[in-house]
Amino acid sequence: MGELAVDKHVKFILTVEKDKDSFESIVMEHIRLNGAYWGLTTLDILGKLNAVDQDEVISWMMQCQHESGGFGGNIGHDPHVLYTLSAIQVLALFDKIDVLDVDKVSNYIAGLQNEDGSFSGDMWGEIDTRFSYIAICSLALLKHLDKINVERAVNYIVSCKNLDGGFGCTPGAESHAGQIFCCVGALAITGSLHHVDKDLLGWWLCERQVKSGGLNGRPEKLPDVCYSWWVLSSLIMIDRVHWIDKEKLIRFILDSQDKENGGISDRPGDAVDIFHTYFGVAGLSLLEYRGLKAIDPAYALPVDVVNKILIGR
Amino acid sequence: MTGGANPSSDVLKELENILDSDPFIDEVGFIHPSQFSELVKEVGSSLKDGLMESEGSEANTSDSVFWSRDHKLGISTTALLPLYRAAKHAFMEAIRQYQVLSESRGERDDSQDGNASRCTSTSISILETDIMKHSRVLLLLSCDFGTAWNFRKVVVSKIQQLHLYMDELSLSALVLSYSPKSERAWNHRRWVIKMIAGMCPNLQETVERESEFVEKLAEKSKMNYRAWNHRSWLVSYMSGEQVLSELNKSQDWAGLHVADNSCFHYRVRLLLKILAGFDKLDAGASSATSLRELWKKELNWVEMLIKRYVGREALWLHRRFLSLSWIKNFTTQVHSNSCSSCPNNMMNVEVFMDNELQLCHSCCTIPDNDFEDYQAQATFSATYIMWLVRQAAGSLPIELQKKLQENELKTVVKNVCPDKSFLWDTFNASI
Repeated sequence: MGELAVDKHVKFILTVEKDKDSFESIVMEHIRLNGAYWGLTTLDILGKLNAVDQDEVISWMMQCQHESGGFGGNIGHDPHVLYTLSAIQVLALFDKIDVLDVDKVSNYIAGLQNEDGSFSGDMWGEIDTRFSYIAICSLALLKHLDKINVERAVNYIVSCKNLDGGFGCTPGAESHAGQIFCCVGALAITGSLHHVDKDLLGWWLCERQVKSGGLNGRPEKLPDVCYSWWVLSSLIMIDRVHWIDKEKLIRFILDSQDKENGGISDRPGDAVDIFHTYFGVAGLSLLEYRGLKAIDPAYALPVDVVNKILIGR
Repeated sequence: MTGGANPSSDVLKELENILDSDPFIDEVGFIHPSQFSELVKEVGSSLKDGLMESEGSEANTSDSVFWSRDHKLGISTTALLPLYRAAKHAFMEAIRQYQVLSESRGERDDSQDGNASRCTSTSISILETDIMKHSRVLLLLSCDFGTAWNFRKVVVSKIQQLHLYMDELSLSALVLSYSPKSERAWNHRRWVIKMIAGMCPNLQETVERESEFVEKLAEKSKMNYRAWNHRSWLVSYMSGEQVLSELNKSQDWAGLHVADNSCFHYRVRLLLKILAGFDKLDAGASSATSLRELWKKELNWVEMLIKRYVGREALWLHRRFLSLSWIKNFTTQVHSNSCSSCPNNMMNVEVFMDNELQLCHSCCTIPDNDFEDYQAQATFSATYIMWLVRQAAGSLPIELQKKLQENELKTVVKNVCPDKSFLWDTFNASI
């Protein structure tokens, strides 16, 4: 089994950040803030966050903020909770949450809660349990969960639970590992995991491991490195991670690396990208791969970063 | 606005003209230059309405950049970057001016200056046209550019005309034809439908059209979560009759796509809606019978599929749902009256479980040539029966639970899927 090519991955992340000339990179510019979170969190897990100029990152990021308090994915783009969480997480990595007008940001997020406890992603009203997670995770990091009705938020998430134990994006929607991570993460942060039948959900999640050792996100789908994060973090939160073969999964992630130019792809042999690089490294961190910083399965940030914020180091 | 001297803004204008001149374009493709010249040659220059002829001196460049015929549009990959840059620049500039003007109009409205206000209105409507034109190109190139979708919402919700909402559905369909997973395009679609619902409460036709739209798209884009989620979302707008007809219509499709878990989940959603509606109505015996028959039919159909298509996870998961709901809603534990112990009475829970055990045993046999599919079939059947017994434990009589425990089930699990035998422990603990 090959090793994790740490230096190559660091180099890959720094190069991706600078690529502004290809069509492929430019059509992703509307989600650049998400990209910043994926890249910087990976660097931090690898112990290389100092390779970037944090003042430059923060000054660009603050230009993405709107009057409403929400963040856009890049300068000039409309605000959405998807990018607002990334901004908070990046500031958390740099221990700079204090540059935010915390009240304003948390009011923006709290203002998106609906009567039934669900959350809209922005003023246009699309509802999704991903947005519930984002709101809860953001407000917990900003220490302002008191601005929303947590009980209703939890009840809405529970209403998205299916008979197979999993969760979907809205009530009655198909179970999906990414949505399960969001729902379980939100329930974990709010101390509401008693709503989960851990054996039943663990059963569904461990059935995501396929022969190659990789995990898929839904039945009959191909394995994909990103589910090393979503399935694995959920299994850890419900204490059922011993139900999968960790060694085989480590091998699957390592086999998905581009050992020459750095980066990790969705599965062995495919083209790499920053999204899968993050999820691969974060997955290995959950699997306690040597030399990596531990990552928190609910907040999706390094454990030391979360501790500093929540317990004051 | 972008200055005619810039060659990339000419390309942008040209594309906008093509899109304006043919509102029925239903497919867009990005074509490599080498394939592009092939395409042009193949069609021949005699097809005047086919090749988009540009005006004057740019004819050569644009012939090698756009191709359009039979409502299909091809864009050369060499043009993508300059086009994107031009469209983004034009769009951002238009929304900037639009916001400035909208704000100043708000102020002027207060000061009651009639002339100035009229003048601003004209400028605003010109800018609205620009926003719609530029955002369309931008979205064709970058389908999840949320700000572009948002400003379209701003403009169409201000004008409030049904045909504009219909145009939005067409644009979203066009984008989804080549980016079937575009989250923003699906969101936009739902937003539009909600707006239409506000204008004309009778949504039956729209719902039907949407459902067909997803089915067609799902053919090309397998196991597409967002697509099926959209179809599933429609269920809340469906009448009882429509739900039944959807259940019928999606059956053939499901039978041909037995690995598509999303389609089976769609059926779960429909079946649950029927079940929920039944409870509320407190209906009479005849509709209780027809509901039971419907469930039985689905169980038999899935059993047939399981035997025909060996080793398909989605089928076994669908059966988990069907059997659990059958036990919980349609079976009885008591041997009391007449026919409950007839060998064919699936309503007797013991008879039903016996059938399921038999199905499981028959699927656990792996032929000598040891096909991978048969191994998968054996694993799915063993985990199926364990899962079912665990979930139904509360509804099974104690004797039956004991019988299942003493059954050779444990040996089967250990032989067939030793890597899943830890599940036996959680299963065992629950009964």
